[in-house]
Amino acid sequence: MSAAERSITIKVREGAWLATFQDLGREQSEALGVPCGGAADQHSASVANILVGNPRTATGIEIMGGRFSFTTSKPVLIAVTGAPADVTVNGGKVQMWEPICVPAKGRVVIANARGGMRNYLAFSGTLVTGYFMGSSAPEARMGFPQQISAGDHVELQTSYAGFEHPYLTQPLFRLPVPIPSFERPLWTIDIVEGPETDAAHGIRELLSSREYTVTAKSNHVGLRLDGPVVHPQGLGEIVSHGVPIGAFEIPHGDELIILGRYRTLTAGYPIVAFATKASLPMLGQARPGQRMTFRWVSQEEAVDSQHEAQRLLNALETRVRSLFGAIDLPHHSRRIPAQAAA
Amino acid sequence: MSTQPAPGQPPSPAPDFAAIKAVPFGDSALMVSLATGSVDERQSGSRKLREILLDVRPHGLLDVVAGVDSILVEFDCLAVSHGQLAQTIRLAATSRSSTGDRQAHDGKHFVIPMVVNDSFAPDLADVAAELGISTEAVLGHLEDSELTINLLASAMAPMMGSVEFPGQVSRCKEPRTNVDPGSVMVAGTNAIIQPFPGPTGWKVIGRTPLTICDIREDPPTSFKPGDTVRFKVVPDSEWERLEGQFLRTDSYVIEGNH
Repeated sequence: MSAAERSITIKVREGAWLATFQDLGREQSEALGVPCGGAADQHSASVANILVGNPRTATGIEIMGGRFSFTTSKPVLIAVTGAPADVTVNGGKVQMWEPICVPAKGRVVIANARGGMRNYLAFSGTLVTGYFMGSSAPEARMGFPQQISAGDHVELQTSYAGFEHPYLTQPLFRLPVPIPSFERPLWTIDIVEGPETDAAHGIRELLSSREYTVTAKSNHVGLRLDGPVVHPQGLGEIVSHGVPIGAFEIPHGDELIILGRYRTLTAGYPIVAFATKASLPMLGQARPGQRMTFRWVSQEEAVDSQHEAQRLLNALETRVRSLFGAIDLPHHSRRIPAQAAA
Repeated sequence: MSTQPAPGQPPSPAPDFAAIKAVPFGDSALMVSLATGSVDERQSGSRKLREILLDVRPHGLLDVVAGVDSILVEFDCLAVSHGQLAQTIRLAATSRSSTGDRQAHDGKHFVIPMVVNDSFAPDLADVAAELGISTEAVLGHLEDSELTINLLASAMAPMMGSVEFPGQVSRCKEPRTNVDPGSVMVAGTNAIIQPFPGPTGWKVIGRTPLTICDIREDPPTSFKPGDTVRFKVVPDSEWERLEGQFLRTDSYVIEGNH
């Protein structure tokens, strides 16, 4: 039987360059002028939650750069995903992309991220934080920054009460975790054609054959890339229209912008391509200096990739559910009896 | 299969929903617009289409983003394909328009006070010059216009039409990088209020002391698309009394009952 939920205080000791509460973003907010926002790397954020038995949409912590550390007096079950980083519990190295049983009086440090921009930290249970339009994702412009700083105390409601095993203090998990590769110096990002692809003569060949470099002007609104572009001809003024995440815009200057989850929702720039849905998590990890090239795929191939990505997440979720059931760790699919007990 | 456009429903012309254009915008979105009609017909048609979509909510629909004369329809590509969703949208639109407009939305009316002075209205003289009228006449046209909120733009900014200006107001040549919240702005024959500090290319002709969007309120705005608005220029001396109050239908009562 799962233990009743209890409240635990997470004491944040180091706050990284930027750490915020984060989830998968808002639903049905864009019709009201608010971008969906949410984790830039939705894959890593989802996996972190799945690995601790949470719903994928649960609130976690998104960490960018520097060192993030916290202590807790009670045991907690966590997972860390995203860019390769050094993760330690009480000084001992632990694996990313696995459930981690942090003992009572544990100190967890996440540092030295490399190859990508963001780490995701999930806790089994519910982090207590504010919500705006149904989501804990930051919306800084509207006065909802959600930032977590050194010295903050974050409250966690959890039914995890520690893990005991006759032989092992840390259970050996052999889970089929889909871990993206951050090692390649040159990323290949899948794209489909856009409304102005044909009007920009030569852009097809450029995007698929040349290298583009992410510049330091990039942020959660969009990635700005250095590389060869051509401006579409004979279009006249483009009336302002809605733009999806992943749109490749060529503004008046010689740069390429790939829109992120916090984009301005409408724009009138030519769009020469769209990143596929399945490639967005990787783009959410691109840091300044990252080189990338692009691969044209059909709409069918794009949807197939997304199917495959979701199939892998579903398979992982199924395995975690049965494993946690077998060793009596809390899982959100069993949360109702736990709440009834509380 | 072809469907006759619905008979005209005055005052707005019936949009030709049989001529809906739906273009893939990436693997998970469609750009939907009307292929035929005048500028006004396409704009009002896309507004109607947006209302229908938000009401019907076809399977797989995730969100919609309104443009000037189009709607971006975002969907779950694992639940529905471009073609299936486009077909559903066409069917929903034609069947809805042939059964007539159900005026489901019971619009509210807001009176929004605004203060006009040199620092709050940096573009008022430019707008007057462009329209060839006095600054007083610019404000008079704004106050005389019963505006309808067409959509909530960036950060829930209410975009309203149409101001009864004698012509179109152009945008700033160089967009401003930061405009204060509450700024009342115009472009074309539309008006908008800046809810939060931020950049804009619209022309600033006044400022309301009221807070029009507050994320601590639920919902964060009192208004919705379809609601109506009238601006009322008030003296500077009113600023202090009204500053920071959350905009509600009774925030400002004309001919003061206070």
